[in-house]
Amino acid sequence: MTIKRRVARLIALVRANRLERELNDEVRAHLELAEHDAIARGLDPAAARRDALRQFGGIDQMKESHRDHRSVRWIENLFKDVRYGLAGLRREPLFTTVAVAVLALGIGANTAMFSLVDGVLFKPMPFPNPERIVRIWETPTPATSNSTTTSTFLALKRQSKSFEALSAESLSTATVAINGEPIRLNGRYVSWDHFAVFGVQPLVGRSFRAEEDEPGADRVVILSHAAWQQHFGGDRRILDRDLLLDNEPHRVIGVLPAGAFDRHKARPLDEPAGFWRLNAFTAEEVAASSHWLNPVGRVKPGVTLAQAQGDVLAVRTRLAELIPAWKKDWSVKVEPFDRLLVGDALRQSIYVALGAVVLVLLIACANITNLLLARSAARAKEISVRAALGATRGRIAAQLLVESLVLGTLGGVAGVALAAALIEIAAPLVPGLPFTSEITLNFRVLAFATAAVLAVSIVVGLLPAIRMSAGSAAAAMNNASRGSSGANDRARRAIVAAEVAVSVVLICGAALLFKSLDRMQQVDIGARIDRVITMAIDLPFARYPSGDQRAAFYPVLIERLRAIPGVTDASISGDVPLEGTGGEYLRMPGRDEQLMVRFKRADAGYFATMGIGVVAGRGFTPDDRIGAPYVAVVNEALAARLRDRFGIAEPVGQAVDLPALGFGRDRRATMTIVGIIRNERVQRDLRAPLDEIAYVPIGQAPRMQVKLSVHTIGDATASLPAIREAVREIDPLLALADIRTMEEIWERSLSGLTEPVWLIGIFATIAALLAALGLYGVVAHTVAQQRREIGIRMALGARSNDVLALVVRHVVLTIIAGLAIGLAGALVLTRVTQSLLFEVSALDPSAFGAAAAVMALVGVTAAIIPATRATRVDPTTALGSE
Amino acid sequence: MSNIDMSKARTGEKADLPYGTLDLLILKTLDTMGALHGYSIARRLEQVAERSEDRRNSGTLKLSQGSIYPALMRLEQQGWITTRWGVSETNRKVKFYSLTRAGARQLHVEVANWEQAAAMVARILDAKA
Repeated sequence: MTIKRRVARLIALVRANRLERELNDEVRAHLELAEHDAIARGLDPAAARRDALRQFGGIDQMKESHRDHRSVRWIENLFKDVRYGLAGLRREPLFTTVAVAVLALGIGANTAMFSLVDGVLFKPMPFPNPERIVRIWETPTPATSNSTTTSTFLALKRQSKSFEALSAESLSTATVAINGEPIRLNGRYVSWDHFAVFGVQPLVGRSFRAEEDEPGADRVVILSHAAWQQHFGGDRRILDRDLLLDNEPHRVIGVLPAGAFDRHKARPLDEPAGFWRLNAFTAEEVAASSHWLNPVGRVKPGVTLAQAQGDVLAVRTRLAELIPAWKKDWSVKVEPFDRLLVGDALRQSIYVALGAVVLVLLIACANITNLLLARSAARAKEISVRAALGATRGRIAAQLLVESLVLGTLGGVAGVALAAALIEIAAPLVPGLPFTSEITLNFRVLAFATAAVLAVSIVVGLLPAIRMSAGSAAAAMNNASRGSSGANDRARRAIVAAEVAVSVVLICGAALLFKSLDRMQQVDIGARIDRVITMAIDLPFARYPSGDQRAAFYPVLIERLRAIPGVTDASISGDVPLEGTGGEYLRMPGRDEQLMVRFKRADAGYFATMGIGVVAGRGFTPDDRIGAPYVAVVNEALAARLRDRFGIAEPVGQAVDLPALGFGRDRRATMTIVGIIRNERVQRDLRAPLDEIAYVPIGQAPRMQVKLSVHTIGDATASLPAIREAVREIDPLLALADIRTMEEIWERSLSGLTEPVWLIGIFATIAALLAALGLYGVVAHTVAQQRREIGIRMALGARSNDVLALVVRHVVLTIIAGLAIGLAGALVLTRVTQSLLFEVSALDPSAFGAAAAVMALVGVTAAIIPATRATRVDPTTALGSE
Repeated sequence: MSNIDMSKARTGEKADLPYGTLDLLILKTLDTMGALHGYSIARRLEQVAERSEDRRNSGTLKLSQGSIYPALMRLEQQGWITTRWGVSETNRKVKFYSLTRAGARQLHVEVANWEQAAAMVARILDAKA
């Protein structure tokens, strides 16, 4: 076929109506001319008309042939079926509304969920060649990752051959005065080629230069787009000006483009960075063995991960003689950056939620199939008429499938709108997503929605299409007035039973997760949660250069805070509960043994403020200060460990060796254990085992970055203005940062755990309601069909309970079958949630029992409502109606 | 796209129109007669066939008149004929078909093809031994 004709045939599609009209006109004119000629030949008008028609031949056949040849016929049919389907849907607004709403719910929830999957799991990181970005860890054991030391990093930087760029990242904070108000910004110390690792160029200004991270170079800083906008009004004049970070001038050389770095959520560096400055390592830092750097690198093109790993390992092996004996067993690993961003738990939660929402869509589909089957009874007559008029079976099936496609498309459009709304509302609420993820309705998501619509339309329409086009025309015409056949009813019951089964699986999963969440909420934090507010204070080195000055600041502030009406206690500590704390080695003097413990600095008020009870000996006092004998306190878990490991029956009075930072890095001291306190949880993850913690007085080990905790009589946040005022009175240049109540910190511990649970709970609820809708529909249909039978029975004296039993008998069997299949399925399927569960077995019988009970209750309720309608059947009207 | 199937309606004394020839006949008619409407084309085809010198085959080209319309549409889509609206003898608005330049070229090609094919068939039929 020539291209010209192909084009003409496509054009004919849109001009179908006009072409049809023109053809009719031509045929009419032709017949008229023929008649005219025949009359001229002497025929009478009637005979002339017959003759003209005879000469012309079959008009309809010719028209069909004309249509076949003038355009792409199947598309024309499709248009016609779509119009027909739409007209049919308009005629039944109730059916259409319910069906479109159910499909919109199913497709919308799936589309929104897929956009999450796409944003988090599928989309590559928003950097060029993201697969070449890696992190390098030290690994004390194969399963643990640790930061590295300055000396190891510098060796890697100089000796490794696999990296195009290699940067050592570590947390940095700085107080900046903006409009006279001290504000603490979160930032990073990095190496000069840090942004080359990510392939990011500054939006304005320039990136760091190699010579700028040498010691003694002028200090420079690059700002994040968010910080630039928020604190400096997006003013380009900020460039080449000096910014006072902790009172030290830093030249602003660039601002990053908006995007990924403003959403930084990657662990272990948890807060979005507002600025980046360079790490010019001091001689002291190079010599220290502190593990504080997180290297991130860009692998050279063509270098595999395994080669990079070998390279890094070789560098580390060459360093061996510089590494202390106790770290000889450590190794190093090179890990793709994106794997770090999406943890196993997040991946697992997303897949489980995706599975759940697909099940919801399946139930929604089953519902629509059921509605279509119910409607098919009413439409049997129409279909059989079409069949009698010559439509082939395939043509009828195609038409019915197109109708379900129309329905699916309407549902899909509504669903995508719903998904857009869900993403708008819910995406910012989803916690713990990696900073590179952006949840949007992009073309991949829309392609998914389209695929979902097609799949749904076929799944939903196939069974009704096959059944209806298969029925013999004669049988359908006869049966039409009697309603649908028994086979149809059986199919509908089977579908509803399947809906119940799938819902049971979802409810079981949700029940397990809720039980697990409940367990998690019951976890004893060991510290006061209510009416405590915490905040971070950084004492800038410029004004508090010595430990003594810092140590002197703390009690002055505490005394001032305790004077505020409504404040019962206040304390300074290195960290607050659930927010993590460092690990250090505890050594027993005179023994060549050490123990990795959590290490926390606390002042005299910490245990009282946090409500942590002293079990033996004493807590800290204001007298535990620099110059006084070194003391330490241990928690019960560490006391037990000391007993087991070192045979120390009575820890109080025992001497241990711990770091006493604040007198230069890596200074350690021998200190006496003066007390045992109750266990508090220091890790954010509530599932972690209890930690063994050693506490030292912050007065003997002062540091620049500390946490302030205030316990109040009333609402803790209400005291915030007074707290600010108190801090300002003592030092107006200090900024309060990270202001959080203990309650918020506790909730943050649960975040990332509660959301998937609620999500699956919502999905399970929707599933149960959809299954209930299906049950309702089947029973209502049965009642409508059996009106006559019910009428006869009632006329013969049946009581309403008998009628109810008659109607409900089937549906109870359906529910029981669904429950049985569902529970069996749940036994297999809920295993996928095991890794998400805390102290709950994936086969927990009480959760399964509760799920079955809930589904049974919902199902029976849905069935009883239409069933009671049967008991109100009036025998005379029922018998008269047919 | 195949040419239209002319075989259905023709039975008995009416011979089938050889496959693919209707287009050729229409093009030839328009070439000879200039612009015509559908009825005139159909009548012209019938009349020429009836005037055949060969009495044995006289009047055997009995096509259904209607079958020219799908063919006309196809030729128009190919750009070989063009239409304009005019008024018939019965004073009704009707489409007049005429040959385009491309159609005239196509006619040459088809005539040549036909003659070649007919000559070949004739040679095979004449081959005695």
